[in-house]
Amino acid sequence: MSRRIAIVEDEAAIRENYADVLRKQGYEVQTYANRKDAMAAFDIRLPNLAIIDIGLENEIDGGFVLCQALRSLSDTLPIIFLTARDNDFDTVSGLRMGADDYLTKDISLPHLTARIAALFRRLDVIDQPTSPENLLERGKLSLDIGRLTVQWEEHPVPLTVTEFWMVHALAKFPGHVKSRQVLMQESKIFVDGSTITSHVKRIRKKFVQLDRAFDCIETVYGMGYRWNVETAPSEQCA
Amino acid sequence: MSFALKNPFGIRSKLVFLSSFLLVIPWLGYQYILAMEDYLRRGQEQTVLGTAQALATALNERPELFNEGSYSPVTRSEDLYVYPIYSPLSLVDSSLNDWGAYQQYEVLHDNRDFLATALNPARLYVGDDSLRFKSMLGEYNGNLYAYFKVTDDEVIYRNQDALTVYRSDFLQISMLSKEGNDVTRYVIAPYQAEPIYPFRVEEDYSNPVYEERITGQWYDASDGYVVELRIPMEMLGDRLGFAVFDVDDPESRNVSTVVATYRADDAERLGSLRLPTPEIDRIVAGMGYNNSRIQIVDRTGRVLLTAGDIQSATGIQLAPIAEGERDNKYWLFLQDNILDPLYYQVLTKPSFDFIDELYSEVTREGAHITSALRGTPLTQFRTLSDSQTRLLEAAHPIMANKEVMGAVVVDQNMNGLRTFRNEALEQLFNTLIAVVLIVVLGLFFFASRISTRILGLRNQAEAIIDDAGRVQNTIMPSRNSDEIGDLSRSFSSIVERLSQYTNYLENMSSRLSHELRTPVTVVRSSIENLGLTEKSEESAVYIQRAEEGISRLNLILTNMSEATRLEQMLQTSEKEKIDLVKVIGGCVEGYKLAYPEARFELDAPENAIHVSGVPEYIAQLLDKLIANAVEFTYPDQPILVHYRALRDHAVIRVSNAGPSLPEEMKDRLFDSMISVRTQEKQRQPHLGMGLHIARLITDFHGGQIRAENRQDQEGAIITVVIPLFYK
Repeated sequence: MSRRIAIVEDEAAIRENYADVLRKQGYEVQTYANRKDAMAAFDIRLPNLAIIDIGLENEIDGGFVLCQALRSLSDTLPIIFLTARDNDFDTVSGLRMGADDYLTKDISLPHLTARIAALFRRLDVIDQPTSPENLLERGKLSLDIGRLTVQWEEHPVPLTVTEFWMVHALAKFPGHVKSRQVLMQESKIFVDGSTITSHVKRIRKKFVQLDRAFDCIETVYGMGYRWNVETAPSEQCA
Repeated sequence: MSFALKNPFGIRSKLVFLSSFLLVIPWLGYQYILAMEDYLRRGQEQTVLGTAQALATALNERPELFNEGSYSPVTRSEDLYVYPIYSPLSLVDSSLNDWGAYQQYEVLHDNRDFLATALNPARLYVGDDSLRFKSMLGEYNGNLYAYFKVTDDEVIYRNQDALTVYRSDFLQISMLSKEGNDVTRYVIAPYQAEPIYPFRVEEDYSNPVYEERITGQWYDASDGYVVELRIPMEMLGDRLGFAVFDVDDPESRNVSTVVATYRADDAERLGSLRLPTPEIDRIVAGMGYNNSRIQIVDRTGRVLLTAGDIQSATGIQLAPIAEGERDNKYWLFLQDNILDPLYYQVLTKPSFDFIDELYSEVTREGAHITSALRGTPLTQFRTLSDSQTRLLEAAHPIMANKEVMGAVVVDQNMNGLRTFRNEALEQLFNTLIAVVLIVVLGLFFFASRISTRILGLRNQAEAIIDDAGRVQNTIMPSRNSDEIGDLSRSFSSIVERLSQYTNYLENMSSRLSHELRTPVTVVRSSIENLGLTEKSEESAVYIQRAEEGISRLNLILTNMSEATRLEQMLQTSEKEKIDLVKVIGGCVEGYKLAYPEARFELDAPENAIHVSGVPEYIAQLLDKLIANAVEFTYPDQPILVHYRALRDHAVIRVSNAGPSLPEEMKDRLFDSMISVRTQEKQRQPHLGMGLHIARLITDFHGGQIRAENRQDQEGAIITVVIPLFYK
């Protein structure tokens, strides 16, 4: 049985383009132009994944409302914001509402499909045992590449797929400086440098919530970021 | 605002200047009162002349008043007035009660009337008050009656055995005989208080002969003695004189003091007997209540009679100021100590103790008198030389038998009028000063208020736009309904519209990018779809080119919204203490990697420079400056990055060798969407947002950014100044 994806997007051309691509990938795609139609359909049956635009016809924040409603219907349903709004506020609010990822419409279709696939994979493997070859251990950090999950000192860190890929890119080669460009490529998004900065900030925050002493992601000014491997004196990171 | 446009005369000073025209009002008032004074002076002139005329009319056709026989025209101090008495007088009653009301005419002789004689050696008598007497002469029933009230501290009577009559206190009567010019002397020197026994004596007081026709009485009084005597009128010649001789030492019995009615002991200096002329007195006394000095002169200008004195002859009698008006102490103080001294800088206060130096009790002269004696009445004004007093003098002829017999001279001083004028002027000035003060103060406050409001509006207007030309503030619209309030409101609405427009311009790139994003997405997703389905080699090339174009378009859109996104992020960012050395050092290392073709020279201090900021933004700021420098630098020329802590600021300089900045663009370089790039420089899409972002970050850190041309060579320096961190 194929996965069902719901696209809520008021711009018909974009909606249909995305739908076409996803259909070609073998997904079952339902498209809605506004929140009302979408909610009516979701009340009957939930999709396996929802791609939502924030501005929906005459509702500026219709996507946020829809996201909240969907999240109340299901805790596990993957929700992706796909929007032209690229400012920090909307990103933060979108992710706070329980979205699994926040993408701008700059993203290319292959990147989008890869992300969707990753989300589904994360859903699929959630019940299966972790295979050791997919595990990446860096001190207290433990990355499960198969499930796209991160654990810090055995505690799961709630990272989005974009963030996971960033952490993965950094932690794969500790001590290596990863430029913003590299992080962008690794996380399959196309944004400007300051967006990467705010992504890194959010990642740090999520780690700091678990461990106040966390400082493994170091900013190398003018170059990028690196996963700190210094052992002394805290012996935290590697 | 350029200084030249500032008006050196504000509204306030202009209004105060205009209100100074109010000072014309006191001047007009002054002129009016001067005119009124002139009018009143003419009135006074007429009044005085009228008085003179009335008096002259009363004396007209009475030539007997000027009769030489009954009335000696020349009055001298030696002259003795003889008053007609209408009741008998007793010479034995040892009292002056029978003289009754006639005593009021008694004449005092004191130390001014000392007489030097053969009996008393010449000496200075000034201050000697030991001897004086009051005398009175009257005529009754063909006899001359007289009394002498002598004040003498030591009364020495004649020794009982003495034959000489001059070695005690005595009274001497000197007279010219009717027929001859020789002086006859009678001495009254009693042994005690008793009826008198006069002796006729020679000049050396020898050979005393009893004279029975002179009778009288000598009696003691509390402070001396009194002599009453009677002389038959037929004994008397033209001249008569009395002298009181005083002996104070009972042993030596030398005469020490003599007081006499005449000045020298010879026939010429004895006084004339003068009959008072009560008729003229009465007429003149009747006129004497009108605040004038009245004199009657005869044809030769000799004064026959005087009534009143010039000092109190003010002409106009002013009503005394009511009690209540002088009650207010503060007003009184103000009036006496401030206003009056001020006024009397201008006004002259009439003096009442002036001296009329031309005046004489004996003769009068002057153009008015000359004219009157020729038959024409005349008034004239005369200003006294030693004071500010002016006198008004009028003379009117007295006619008898179509002949001028004399003249009535009426004098008044102008002080009354002047006082009246001064009081009027004082009141006028008081009122006007109050009015002018109120008006000027009112105008001043009014002008101050207006000018304050206009200045306030100007300050607000100047504060609207900052040095970079951005709209920073608004104008608070005034609620006042007048023109200035109107101006304020229309300014406010202009500024509002202007700021809306500026805001629109500033956000245009962001909005444009947002609006463009959707169609770009449509195009891109469509092309990508096409790429996924179309497999032919030929179309793949075009699809790839289209995708490249879309990517560039995307980059442009991202750059366009970068500033807006940054501004939004800055609002929520919190500053921390950061070390500039670390941040800039790291960044420069990164640039060496990022721009392998460029050469960087870092001039860094040894010690840490702590500023309060966000390291990512500082790095972003540096990114923009370096990107700019790299783009404009000449090949093989280093890009200099220099930073230091200067006093309380960190100064970062990024300089490159390259084309100079156009002068007119220096200030606008940091504005949104401003670029000085030439067309061939445009390898990458550029929107002129880089330096705008640099400024946003500098502003966020409370610093300043400026661009200059290098002094040492062609090139540009961009300087960022950020305050140092401090607790």
